[in-house]
Amino acid sequence: MADAMIEFRDVTKRYAALVANDHLSLTIRRGELMTLLGPSGCGKTTALRCLTGMNHPDEGWIFLDGTDVTDVPTHQRELGMVFQNFALFPHMTVADNVGFPLMIRSRPKDERAKLVTEALRLVRLEGYAGHFPRQLSGGQQQRVGLARALVYRPKVLLLDEPLSNLDAKLREEMRFEIKEVVTRLGITAMYVTHDQAEALALSDRVAIMNRGRLQQLGTPEEIYESPNSRFVAEFIGLSNFLDGRVDAVRGETMTVATSGLAIQTTLLPGVTSGQKVLLFLRPNEIELLPAGAGSDVNVFSARVEKATYLGDTMDYRLVLGNEADLRVQTDARHRYAAGESVRVRLPRVRSWAVKEE
Amino acid sequence: MSLVRAYLAGLRHGWFVLGYTLCVCLTLLITAPFLMIALRSVGKGWFGRLWLPPQLTWDWYRWAIEVGNIPEVMKNTLIIGAIAVIVSTIIGIFAGWAFGRRQMPGKELLMAVVLLPRMIPPITYALGVAKIFYGLELVDTHLGVALAHVSVCAPYAILVLSATFEGLDERVLEAASVCGANTIKRFFYVVLPLIMPGILASMIFSFTHSYNEFTLTLLTYGPNTVTLPVRTYLAVGDGYWEITSAMAVIMVVPSLVILAMIQRRAKPEKLVGGFKGV
Repeated sequence: MADAMIEFRDVTKRYAALVANDHLSLTIRRGELMTLLGPSGCGKTTALRCLTGMNHPDEGWIFLDGTDVTDVPTHQRELGMVFQNFALFPHMTVADNVGFPLMIRSRPKDERAKLVTEALRLVRLEGYAGHFPRQLSGGQQQRVGLARALVYRPKVLLLDEPLSNLDAKLREEMRFEIKEVVTRLGITAMYVTHDQAEALALSDRVAIMNRGRLQQLGTPEEIYESPNSRFVAEFIGLSNFLDGRVDAVRGETMTVATSGLAIQTTLLPGVTSGQKVLLFLRPNEIELLPAGAGSDVNVFSARVEKATYLGDTMDYRLVLGNEADLRVQTDARHRYAAGESVRVRLPRVRSWAVKEE
Repeated sequence: MSLVRAYLAGLRHGWFVLGYTLCVCLTLLITAPFLMIALRSVGKGWFGRLWLPPQLTWDWYRWAIEVGNIPEVMKNTLIIGAIAVIVSTIIGIFAGWAFGRRQMPGKELLMAVVLLPRMIPPITYALGVAKIFYGLELVDTHLGVALAHVSVCAPYAILVLSATFEGLDERVLEAASVCGANTIKRFFYVVLPLIMPGILASMIFSFTHSYNEFTLTLLTYGPNTVTLPVRTYLAVGDGYWEITSAMAVIMVVPSLVILAMIQRRAKPEKLVGGFKGV
């Protein structure tokens, strides 16, 4: 690809018996913010370490801006990186920390001072040049980390779970700050995290990894709206799953029998009667109606098992059909109590075909 | 009730007095030998059953310095100490890096071997060292005596620096690499400043051990390499207690200077940052 900035080509990395990256191929475009998302042990950190040169892939190549850097040592890769534990130099002031990449590159002193001031302004830490890292709060330390990573305008910015050591409120704030800085500089960035909310909020595209492989690649919307597997659906957002079997196919819709219910949904390509499928429903895409509501497509009777008040939303556990559990989240304005009978409407049901064993 | 409370308070008070008495006794026990020598070194005509010397004088110090040739002896001691410090610390840096940062088979066994010179009786070890050094003609050279000292100084340097290197945050080093620093720059700009407290500690340990080392010196010294402990020991043999005491006090001075330096100057928390987060 012409505008590829970072490319993993068929990268495999093994640790003894464990395959951390299994023929991983991934391209990050120039100016794009890509998130590698996955649970711990999915290989995202290994991929990052292969990119920084801290790990050497057993097979495959890594390209940076069109150049094969697989065998280039870390310090020659021209990277900027923000670390989970900040990894600031404790014996240097904020200014010296930020100026470190420039000092290493023997830039003249006045240019260094100018760039450091600029970088500190970028992360809103102008007054802290003379402080030591230990005198700053976690959020400030991480902003120093960001300034240090950006100060010499590297080709790419790598962020390794940069917010996971910060408290929840600060995390949300920093999320937007990072996004804004990266967008303003137009720098290519790779963001590694296990936090799906961060991934959705920040990324141009998200790469979801599972067991060393790329599970799905797409924009946050694509990933959330059309997950390609149960793994992705479970990992991003909340979800209900129902096992079923295709009962009838008519035109563009199919009827799926599950727990004594007949649910209608869009026909999956190539699916015929008798095929096993997995239905998937987001808890916030289910509607609750009063018990007296009339019959319609995909409207069923259910009983409220548990109702939890969450402030802006209500969280329900419902039982419907032959004891199928369903989690539903609705607006907290209309509330139902535990034990009450209700009608549920399923306006949006996604499904995947399941391979028969 | 109030009687019980008073009793308890009295008990507590009793413990307090007892505690203080014990502290004072312990302090006296530790400092008595030193006080004794200090008094001896300035006392004149202190014989028999006198509690304190009848007259004070600095003469013994003059005698010690002139007759005992203390300036020359001090010079030897410091030269030997300096060589021992440098060699031990260099060994400590390399070995400490290996012990502290590398996974290697038989690490514990290797560490035990390194510590061996400290574990076996000094005289046994010193005899072996002397035998070898006679063969190598290292006896009665500053380098030779210093190398003998290294065998006991280096284990301390290695122990201290292993711990220092273990405490070094791997990710800070990675950050330096990502920032563009090659191995050499990384060492001088990041690693060295961060392990400086460890290096200082290792140097102080090595120096005090070399400075105080007696057994190994006794078996490797010669006319040109008399050190302070050996000179003091020889003076005991001459039978002049007052002069010996003066030498012993002189010997303490550098130790006190080092102690003062550690208390005043070395502020490790200034060099190793306490971190928020991990």
